[in-house]
Amino acid sequence: MKRKKNIWEGLIIGIFIFLVIVPILTILVWVGTERWAWPSLIPQKFSMRAVNGILRNRQQLVRLCMSSLFISASVAFLSVVIGTMTARALECYDFFGKRLFSFMSMLPFLVPGTVFAMGVQITFIKCGLSGTVQGVIIVHLICSLPYAVTLMQDGTRAMGVKLEEQARVLGAGALQAFFKVTLPNLFPVMLSAFSMAFVVSFSQYFLTLMIGGGNVKTFAIVMVPYLGSGERNFASIYSVIFLVIMLLVFGILEWIVGRFTKAQEVEYY
Amino acid sequence: MKKKMTPYILLVPQLILGVVFIIGLGTGIIQSLGVIPAFGLTEPTLKYYKEVLTRPDLLQSLKYSLYIAFMSAFLATVTGTFLCAVLVSAGKVRGIIMRIVQIPIIVPHVVVALFIVNILSQNGILARILANAGLITDQQQFPMLIYDRYGLGVILAYLWKEIPFIIYFVIALMANINGSLGEAATNLGANKLQAFMNVTLPLCMNTVLSGFLIIFVFALGAYELPFILGATTPKALPVLAYLEYTKPDLRARPYAMAINGILIVISLIAAVLYYILLRRSTKKLAG
Repeated sequence: MKRKKNIWEGLIIGIFIFLVIVPILTILVWVGTERWAWPSLIPQKFSMRAVNGILRNRQQLVRLCMSSLFISASVAFLSVVIGTMTARALECYDFFGKRLFSFMSMLPFLVPGTVFAMGVQITFIKCGLSGTVQGVIIVHLICSLPYAVTLMQDGTRAMGVKLEEQARVLGAGALQAFFKVTLPNLFPVMLSAFSMAFVVSFSQYFLTLMIGGGNVKTFAIVMVPYLGSGERNFASIYSVIFLVIMLLVFGILEWIVGRFTKAQEVEYY
Repeated sequence: MKKKMTPYILLVPQLILGVVFIIGLGTGIIQSLGVIPAFGLTEPTLKYYKEVLTRPDLLQSLKYSLYIAFMSAFLATVTGTFLCAVLVSAGKVRGIIMRIVQIPIIVPHVVVALFIVNILSQNGILARILANAGLITDQQQFPMLIYDRYGLGVILAYLWKEIPFIIYFVIALMANINGSLGEAATNLGANKLQAFMNVTLPLCMNTVLSGFLIIFVFALGAYELPFILGATTPKALPVLAYLEYTKPDLRARPYAMAINGILIVISLIAAVLYYILLRRSTKKLAG
């Protein structure tokens, strides 16, 4: 299709991109800002005081990264496994209660997480899960799972059962057919489900606060108090680390997908 | 026989988590009816709902929350769909621009709150630019864009995050339809705008509506942004509920849960409306 270059389209896209990028730049400036008096447009004094302050406590920072990453990676992994199972049940089988299960799997989309968190806290306290990493993983999992299920359902539907049946006809066992044929084909979708679930978990503040009870530290939990107290440089540094980790996780996953698709092409064609 | 059991076995973990979710909702609803045996409250009553619904501050909160959720979802959906159309028309469906579009989706809400403070507060960049341009002389002259009664800061924060979400949510479908059926309409003599308004947009409507619903329910029940960027009064419903929830006097607990009950009812009404709209638009397309 031939199009003439449209100046309005370019302008609109340009403004949009500008509005997405500028806010991110503001936190980069704040990372090294010591003093920024009104009404100057640039900070008067740059220093690495806040950065050093956080780096000096390196152990604490590493522990924070580790606990945040561990929680979100576990949540993402479990979301993919459970999401794949649920999607397979809902897409490949007809059974009694299917609509009910389908509704249940989407319920966390329909009811706010805050409502769930306040209701379930007492049960978690009774079970001894309150204030524990496991407890936080369970509630994050509940909120991330609908995303994973939706993505995996789309993937499973698109993939169909034809290839797997083919493998069965050729003599593969049920499990063999699933693991050797269906799973490799679903792998790219599984990675998108993983990233989506990871993001949802990594961004949680309220659920972590309610169920973690201050014991379980994640980036959001550590950062918000700085926002309230107006120490914007500390809040900015934590935000930057937050974003860098997120981008790294995404970069790695995308790299894996790229490698994987290439490897498959070589294998099959 | 074995085959019949397979879907149920596959659904076991989903079922366990679903039950935990329903226990959470159920506990909340039972407590909102004033049944908390541990505090000696055993008679179910609608008293708390009645009291909560007649409190003037709650009605204000209800309006404020509905307003923020609706404005965020509506503006994000309209702007997002428009930008999506521009991107499709400009042929920028993948590549570097789509990469940039995806960034806000992965930025957590608490970080977006920081962006908004940096830019829109009375000490923020926008106020400084106006001061340097000589339009204002004092910080106080800059309008309160955050912590304000109109929830501007909260809505803008949602827009920054949710407009790209809508684009991401709709663009693959829109590009696909525009490339096939939209192209056909153009060949039959429709101009670009006609083809978009009469063919592509109606076919994308279901997805756009789903996007609207997801944002609406999320913004209605989210705590972070109204807590960080919202006004002291009125408070958003989840903020108000949490305040009641954390009161040292445990007898306030049913009030918190009654507020949550109201949130559940509104979310479910939104979901039902969504299904009706979805049905209607599917029927219209079929007929």
